[in-house]
Amino acid sequence: MSIIVVIEDDPNSARLASRLLERAGHQVVTAMDGETGLNAVSEHSPDLVLVDLGLPDFDGQTVIGLLHEQPTPRPMSILAFTAWPEETAQVMAEAYGCDGLISKPINTRTFADQVAVYLPKDDTTSMGSGSSQISL
Amino acid sequence: MVAGRPKLIPANTYGFETLAQIYNEARTDYIVPMPMNARRMEEYVRFYDVVLSASFISLNDADEESGIAMLGWRGQRAWITRLGVIPERRGSKVGQTLTEALLDSGRGRGATLCQLEVIEGNEPAHRLFVKLGFEETRRLLVMRRPPSARGATGILNVGIEIEALDASAIAAQLQRRTDAPSWLDETVSLLNAGSLQGFRIDHQDGRFAWIVYRLVSTPVTPQLVRQKLSHFVLDSSDPDMTYDLLRALHQRHPQVDTEVENMPADSSHWASFQRVGYVQSFRRIEMLMHL
Repeated sequence: MSIIVVIEDDPNSARLASRLLERAGHQVVTAMDGETGLNAVSEHSPDLVLVDLGLPDFDGQTVIGLLHEQPTPRPMSILAFTAWPEETAQVMAEAYGCDGLISKPINTRTFADQVAVYLPKDDTTSMGSGSSQISL
Repeated sequence: MVAGRPKLIPANTYGFETLAQIYNEARTDYIVPMPMNARRMEEYVRFYDVVLSASFISLNDADEESGIAMLGWRGQRAWITRLGVIPERRGSKVGQTLTEALLDSGRGRGATLCQLEVIEGNEPAHRLFVKLGFEETRRLLVMRRPPSARGATGILNVGIEIEALDASAIAAQLQRRTDAPSWLDETVSLLNAGSLQGFRIDHQDGRFAWIVYRLVSTPVTPQLVRQKLSHFVLDSSDPDMTYDLLRALHQRHPQVDTEVENMPADSSHWASFQRVGYVQSFRRIEMLMHL
């Protein structure tokens, strides 16, 4: 089981992502804004953080920049999670040092596998791919 | 049943929390959603001289909020901003009704010009503005530079002098600026936003350049402080001086997240920004209409 923090202000998207990841066996913590998300990362030391690029308090890029500064006890993957046009999102995710990018809307059939690619290998039970996943 | 004409309520009837909520709902499917919380909405209104009594919230037949549109006001110029219609409540000319109400509001206050920016690729909004009589003036770049960006290292050219600008020198430089800023980067916006810093570089051959910018530091968690550079005004005679100016800036403020909005897309400075690690986030189209 991995610990995943989902920083996403859209409650429907956050709920769906959370449900799919929990069904895949992960522990999920959701946060509706950047500040709550950064505190959640500090508290739970997750294996992976999904960060929406549009957040109401600080934008996603700012949050990602701060996540890189945050000391963590073990390696942590950071994925941009966005409905931005793919080309723009990819440039931004790469510039801000994300490990990958998952485009919204979520593909419910492939989402958990897309995320699993970026988790520690012991936790990866299946390796899938979807058209909206980009490794950086 | 055919939906009736939307009812319009002055935006000052609502608090910032609700305004942010309506705005966020209206932008959920926007090309680049940029949600706000109450604090950011309040800052936006204050920095950019938005007049809430001349801005509107629309209601549908069921008296549910369906859209939002705000009017900025400076001199005899009006600025349309934060326009959006909640996706499931679109389809009864809500956007057009809101825009026309803002134009009427501007005319009623004596505006001779109305301007706005629309994100490139937002075709429905662009079509609406053209239909109402707006004309394109230029394309604008929104750029980011991540804290980890490279390109600003290295020793500045021998013979370059750097002089920090104090508050009075910043005010004097801003009075002398010769660029044509968008609404967001007009001198009034910068003075409203505050937290300004600046410096000037002088080359031994007589060339000089200066920059004024906003730097804010906000504690986020006990361990983390968010720092952000924004609202650049720079005056530089050539791309090499711009490059030196930006390198000096990011050496003074290393590892600081940076956002620069609305630099003209055809600016000769863009290549220098790219050299020090800036990337394009998206582009806007500036439009205006004489009233």
